[in-house]
Amino acid sequence: MANKHPSDIPPPGPDNAERGQTALRAIYAISGGLALVVLGSLVVDFGWAPSWLTGQKSAPVAQVKGEKTDLFTPPDERTIPNDDFGASVRRGMAIFNQTGTNAHEFVGNDLSCSNCHLDAGRQAYSAPMWAAYPVYPKYRGKNKMVNTMEDRIHGCFTYSMNAQGSPSGGPPPYGSDVYRDLQAYFFWMSKGLPIGVQPEGAGFGKIDKPAKDPSRERGAEVFAANCAVCHGDDGMGQTDANGKQIFPPLWGPHSFNWGAGMHKVSSAAAFIQHNMPLSQPGKLSVQDAWDVAAFIDSKPRPKDPRQTDGISLQEADKKWHKSSADFYGETVDGVVLGTGYPKDAGASQSN
Amino acid sequence: MTDKNKQDPRLPDETFEPYEEPRRIPMPVYWIAIALAIWGVVMLVQMSYSTKIGDKERASMSDQEVAATTPVKAEPKPDAGKALFADNCASCHGDAGEGVADAIPPLHASDVVKAGGASAITHIVMRGIGGPLIVDKANYDGEMPSFASVLDDKDIASIANFVASDLNGLKSTVTPAQVAEIRTASADLNPWDGGSGLAGLINGLPAQPASETAPAPSPDAAATAALAMHGTNEIWSCASCHGDKGEGTQTIPRLAGLAPAYLAKQLHDFKEGTRINDSMDYVVKSLSDKQIIELANYYGAMSSPSGARPSLEGDLARGEKIALEGDWTKNVPACFTCHGPSGIGVGDKFPGLAAQQPAYIAHQLAMWQGGSRHNSPLGLMAGIGKSLSDADRRAVADYLASLPPAAANAKLALAVSATTKETSNGQ
Repeated sequence: MANKHPSDIPPPGPDNAERGQTALRAIYAISGGLALVVLGSLVVDFGWAPSWLTGQKSAPVAQVKGEKTDLFTPPDERTIPNDDFGASVRRGMAIFNQTGTNAHEFVGNDLSCSNCHLDAGRQAYSAPMWAAYPVYPKYRGKNKMVNTMEDRIHGCFTYSMNAQGSPSGGPPPYGSDVYRDLQAYFFWMSKGLPIGVQPEGAGFGKIDKPAKDPSRERGAEVFAANCAVCHGDDGMGQTDANGKQIFPPLWGPHSFNWGAGMHKVSSAAAFIQHNMPLSQPGKLSVQDAWDVAAFIDSKPRPKDPRQTDGISLQEADKKWHKSSADFYGETVDGVVLGTGYPKDAGASQSN
Repeated sequence: MTDKNKQDPRLPDETFEPYEEPRRIPMPVYWIAIALAIWGVVMLVQMSYSTKIGDKERASMSDQEVAATTPVKAEPKPDAGKALFADNCASCHGDAGEGVADAIPPLHASDVVKAGGASAITHIVMRGIGGPLIVDKANYDGEMPSFASVLDDKDIASIANFVASDLNGLKSTVTPAQVAEIRTASADLNPWDGGSGLAGLINGLPAQPASETAPAPSPDAAATAALAMHGTNEIWSCASCHGDKGEGTQTIPRLAGLAPAYLAKQLHDFKEGTRINDSMDYVVKSLSDKQIIELANYYGAMSSPSGARPSLEGDLARGEKIALEGDWTKNVPACFTCHGPSGIGVGDKFPGLAAQQPAYIAHQLAMWQGGSRHNSPLGLMAGIGKSLSDADRRAVADYLASLPPAAANAKLALAVSATTKETSNGQ
């Protein structure tokens, strides 16, 4: 190795030529790289690049849009006619959005219809009214009879609006203008949809069964991280400087009662997964949605109005709460759930 | 190529230069040249295409604006008062003036309106009112802002006459000239002090509750005001950018009347680098936690007229729709769903938007979109920012600039002794 014969040493000529080759290769490589960059930028510019490459969520947006175009779009409220029918539609809309003001006598909590039926009852998968109106009258297992739309709204006032705590002590009497105006609003909104066909977007949508049984402990963490910003650490919602309820209470004396549809863990989970946090539907996983729904259900709220004098909590639990897995009648944190509040009680009362 | 060739060809060329060899231009160079040419042409075509789209957008927007503004200006219709009521009053008092139970007093068939007539309405619209009030035997304790800075005399007269006649069946009216007199007399006066404040104004006013005593000013109030107005030797004052009345300008936000906890949180975010702005980053470094709380309370308690006007050529009708109804096809809820009716703000996480500077709002929305601002709870504003187009941002910013500023809410003041952790940990 040490003593190389002079002929072993590469002559300078070829070395030079090789150096030239290297320079050429470098030029090719750089230009080739440039060309690739140019091509790449063109591809990205035209949106042909796959989303995993660009990090942009173009594909999911397109999906959502495609999904939404399949959904019925209710008419714009500016198209409500300026006649007597339109006046009824507007009254119905006002009741829907400010129920405690415009149907004051029959509301026993701080909720409005539009707290769960989002966007004034127009939002798909938050039980939009345009999806409900065309499928009534229908038979409902809840009261084991054929329900007209008026019967159905009667039930909403009884349970979701907790009419037992209202100034009149009950839902609007049958034949009340409250039903007339609300139905006019729903009817106007459903224009063009076929009768008797449940449209896509009805109800709260489907939600898969969770991998693990819903846990109120995990749900408490989900709640603190995702819900408390608006609904408050105590779930009581928030009011503005005038005292108007801006974010609805999810439990406690001013929320829906133990007979409301939203108290069923499965219903609440579906609603939450498809609608909450507001503007971020689908953010919570299926498991998170079930867990937080269970957490909300494990809190006290006004009593089930069907449990009248002479019916014990146990009997009521057996009769109305066995088919759904809920916390009615259970003891959580030393509090028996379902006993409600003394009439007109304040928030200080336990359960 | 001449002498060297005479060398022994078996020997290596000692003075070889790569450029000497006659060679064809290599194919890759052609490809690159062709690719660059194609790219150039494509970019040219694309640019002219987007210019065309932009032109069309602008044209259609100006059409919309003309359509939105002309009818109102062209013919002052007899129901101008009704339209003005719908635009300025209904978002709180309801479309029919029915109010909101336990929160906003009714204007329809209201005993206070019936006793005071159009003149009393004008006085209240001009100055605003806050504190305990009894209307139709129901108790209220809210804050109505002054509309003096956003409505002219003619508009206020139309609204007052509409409320007096159409909603209460009164014959009393006011003329724009009378409104102008009331405006002069009301200049620089604070909002009416609840129902008891109206006692001297309205004869036969139904019984009213006693007014709340104003909270005693903090012992350091003078020092805080001096800090805000004059700064210190090291830092410039808040007022030098945000204005003497905290009304802001251009991309510098209005601070007056924002919730103190929100203001304190933003200052802490600047300090910790979770919100970025060169001027603020510099200023907050010299502020102690106590000073941050005091300044937040100082601006939170400040009531000042609107310093904002629609100025971004946004489509006000579109902006109003986004603020009141949202655009659910893009998963954008109404602004007021969280920021409160008329954008007065809710709690300490959802700041007031009313009368905020339009350039600031549009700029912040663009920053949420681009990710350079990212300190909102749950990333709510990032998602919304991404969904709004440039035209939407300008539309909603201009609409918010047309609103009266929210009244300061003394109840939200932070305790000076509050630990800094409480304010900085809040979202």
